[in-house]
Amino acid sequence: MRRTFLKMLRRRKLHRDLEAELAFHRDMGAIHGNPIGLGNAALIREQALDLWRFTLIENLWHDLTYAVRSLRRSPAFVLTALLSLALGIGANIAIFSLVDAVILKYLPVERPEELMQLEYRAPDWSDESSTFANPVWEQVRDHQDVFAAAFAWSNKDRLDLTQGGMMRPANGLWVSGGFFRAMGLNAAAGRLISDSDDRRGCPAVAILSYGFWQDHFGGAMSAIGSTLSLRSRAFEVIGVAPRGFFGMEVGERFDLALPICATAIFDGEKPRLDNRNFLWLNVGGRIHPEMSRAQLTSRLKAISPRIFMPQGASPEERQYLSKIALTPIPAASGISRLRHQFSQPLEILMAVVGLVLLIACANLGNLMFARALARNKEFAVRQALGASHTRLVRQLLTECVVLSSGGALLGALLARWTTTLLARSISTAQNSVFLDLSLDTRMLGFVLAGAGLTPLLFGLLPALRSTRVSLSSAMRGSQSGEAGRSLRFHVRKWIVGSQVALSLVLLVAAGLLLRSFVKLVTLDIGFDRNNVLLVHTDLRTAKISIDRQAATYEAIESRLSALPGVLSVGRSMITPISGDMGVDNGVHTEWTKTPKVDQGWSDADAKFLVYKDYISPGYLPALRMRLLAGRNFTRADMGSSRVAIVNQTFARRFFPGLNPIGRAYLDGFPVQPVEVVGLVEDSKYLSLREENPPTAFLPLKYLSELGDSDTLLLRTAIPPSRLIVPVVAAIAEVNRAIPLEFHTLADQVNDSLAQERLLALLSGFFGALAVILAMIGLYGTFTYLVTQRQKEFGMRMALGAEPASILSLVMRDLMAVLSAGLVAGILISLAATRLLQQMLYGLTPHDTTTMFLAAGVLSAVALVAGYIPARRATRVDPMTTLRQE
Amino acid sequence: MAKSSSPSLLQGTLDLLILHALQRGPLHGYAVAQTIHLLSDDVLTVEEGSLYPALYRLELDGAISSTWGLSDNNRKAKYYKITGRGKKLVAEQQQTWDRLSAAVQRVLAR
Repeated sequence: MRRTFLKMLRRRKLHRDLEAELAFHRDMGAIHGNPIGLGNAALIREQALDLWRFTLIENLWHDLTYAVRSLRRSPAFVLTALLSLALGIGANIAIFSLVDAVILKYLPVERPEELMQLEYRAPDWSDESSTFANPVWEQVRDHQDVFAAAFAWSNKDRLDLTQGGMMRPANGLWVSGGFFRAMGLNAAAGRLISDSDDRRGCPAVAILSYGFWQDHFGGAMSAIGSTLSLRSRAFEVIGVAPRGFFGMEVGERFDLALPICATAIFDGEKPRLDNRNFLWLNVGGRIHPEMSRAQLTSRLKAISPRIFMPQGASPEERQYLSKIALTPIPAASGISRLRHQFSQPLEILMAVVGLVLLIACANLGNLMFARALARNKEFAVRQALGASHTRLVRQLLTECVVLSSGGALLGALLARWTTTLLARSISTAQNSVFLDLSLDTRMLGFVLAGAGLTPLLFGLLPALRSTRVSLSSAMRGSQSGEAGRSLRFHVRKWIVGSQVALSLVLLVAAGLLLRSFVKLVTLDIGFDRNNVLLVHTDLRTAKISIDRQAATYEAIESRLSALPGVLSVGRSMITPISGDMGVDNGVHTEWTKTPKVDQGWSDADAKFLVYKDYISPGYLPALRMRLLAGRNFTRADMGSSRVAIVNQTFARRFFPGLNPIGRAYLDGFPVQPVEVVGLVEDSKYLSLREENPPTAFLPLKYLSELGDSDTLLLRTAIPPSRLIVPVVAAIAEVNRAIPLEFHTLADQVNDSLAQERLLALLSGFFGALAVILAMIGLYGTFTYLVTQRQKEFGMRMALGAEPASILSLVMRDLMAVLSAGLVAGILISLAATRLLQQMLYGLTPHDTTTMFLAAGVLSAVALVAGYIPARRATRVDPMTTLRQE
Repeated sequence: MAKSSSPSLLQGTLDLLILHALQRGPLHGYAVAQTIHLLSDDVLTVEEGSLYPALYRLELDGAISSTWGLSDNNRKAKYYKITGRGKKLVAEQQQTWDRLSAAVQRVLAR
């Protein structure tokens, strides 16, 4: 090795020595009249120097410098190549880094692969649950001997940092005392929450996330020991979590971590700590390194009955609970709603960018063929001078590697900021997404693979095909070597044909996704989303007692109605398309079993389920929901449980063929009749994709388990955001301590389409890109075809052919390529678009209109791209071409 | 890699011939070729295309060493000298060659 290295340094000298020696040999031979072996000097040199071990490296260096030199001579080619590679590889890197961050990356904790999360399933549940009630978690904590360490956390709780007025929300993370120790994390400052902090009746302490510490305290040590107001309760800061730790949920980032026991400080009389039915904690553990997954599962099953059984359970309860078993699932990459929501769109996008890269490679392959043709003579000469075929292939591939490395580098830079942009685009106003986009080895490997594999994709075939040249035909000039050339043209036609096919697949996918998105956006959702300001309030934090809540809200409402620019003010417990907002006291109100009056109670029947909302008289006018029959609520109805306004689907389902007004249904606990007083038009409730659900609107009431966090809905005559400042002022006049949060209904509705928008936008962009690339390929290939057949065309025209017939000659070729590509593309689309099924709305994956549209657009563009060179063919001056012969 | 048309037997033989020629004293490349040519009664002609790669290979193997010197006609030339390792190699190869040629003889005699 050392010798090789030394020889490397003496490389130049060795070259000179060999030259001198060979010259001497020749001269001696000449003197003796004895010209021994007039061989190929270059070949001897190569063979002799091959002996020195460094040839491989040296050749590589040679190839590299040669590649750079030869590329420098054609800047237009390099620019096109770099641009398409940068776009192709960059798109792949960008999407892959999202896939990496959302799906693949492990949590930044000690030995993440050992982390397990617990799930269980009660006998009558349809799904596994991963949330536990606190009493069950305490049983796990105190009685498990299975895990090396057990821990619990609750993901997201919005804590308000202000004391009234505009809310400053912070993401809270509830953790068990052993959480940080189990994660193997150390404090960046102060100390972390430990077992002694998580006991019943614990003091109010909090841990800051590193980011929150930097943003709110400038990273000052004085933060430790300071006091934070959370929902108007004072918490002492005891430490800072390590940098990079964002919590257990990918896509979220916690600001403050609090011990589980501290929930009692907010909960008052009915603490969730003792509630066996309030499922809010995630439970996990660190598996013993020597224990297998199967062992763990069986050990957990063995201890499950003890854990779920409350003291003094009845025999029936015992029977029921004994069937529940804990099962472990790997939690190395944390848990994530975002992953659930976006893994399919990301897979689709990954496939899309993969296709784009393929098309870009096909384009480059095409360009390489064209370039190789121009270098025919060069190859022939170099082969004659002793360069081996493999050496030429290697040299061409080196050029490709240089290009693709440049492309990958540019692509990585491009991806760097597009990824941030993309991550931001899946964030919504109410749910800001945080992703750890830092570079990891997997990412690096992906980039390197991109740089290493793409040249094989686009360079290998042209390199192999075009270096097989015969010296004599190359030297004779450009008109010969017809057979080899037309073979190459066939290859290029194939390439262009497959480009057309792939572009069509992308266009169809983009068309389907775009049309679905448009359908969703323009859907009649049953209410007017524009110009509505949503004001979330929280009277509990303001410590306003239940009996004063109705009066407080009415005072606020009357002040807001008086504001200029406000048309009407409504109030409700839940606002449409808000997802899981407004259910923070643990009572799920959307799904409630509603029996029909005449047919009695049927417990298991899902068709009796209806959505519910509690509203004020101003709600329907504020949303511009049309009352079809009966009356709206009045102030006198407020607080009553005896009247309801129902929607059309409700009426159709429960009073088929009847006028619902004046009829009653049974609801509530204990069961009592509820009279239908009004009928409204159907509207969406949870998501835009759902069928309009049967919905009952009930008058707002203020009981301990309902109320205290109504949302005010303001129908405005001016842009809603301009009302925020006056609204804050008006509500402060009533009570300064009420925390407020503002959104617009339009944002809330549009945010629910985040994944559809992302998919539609990106697939549209990539579809357009694919078409452009395919068109460049088509244009290039046909320009080449026309040049190649120039002589023939000249001859034909000299013999009296009309320009039109020349044109049709070329266009016939184009049509052949195009139609073959389209047919193949449609076949692939039919098979591939089924993957999109779940993402579509109001369309089938085989939607014929979209297919025809895509094929039409592609054909139109292709015809233009082919027409330009064909047109040029007809302008050939017969004399010029014939003279060239 | 560059192509090589000489089969391995010939290459091994050329090494032996070169080493044998150098046993008579240091020679430059041209003289090596000439010596082999003369000793074989003009039967064997060593082309420079095979000679120099062979010389380089032997030098790399440590069988011969080289220095620059002056030729008979006062020109700078590279002289090759056999090393101890080369002498051992020549003995070994001589044996191999003897066995081989005897074997070939036997085959052809029957």
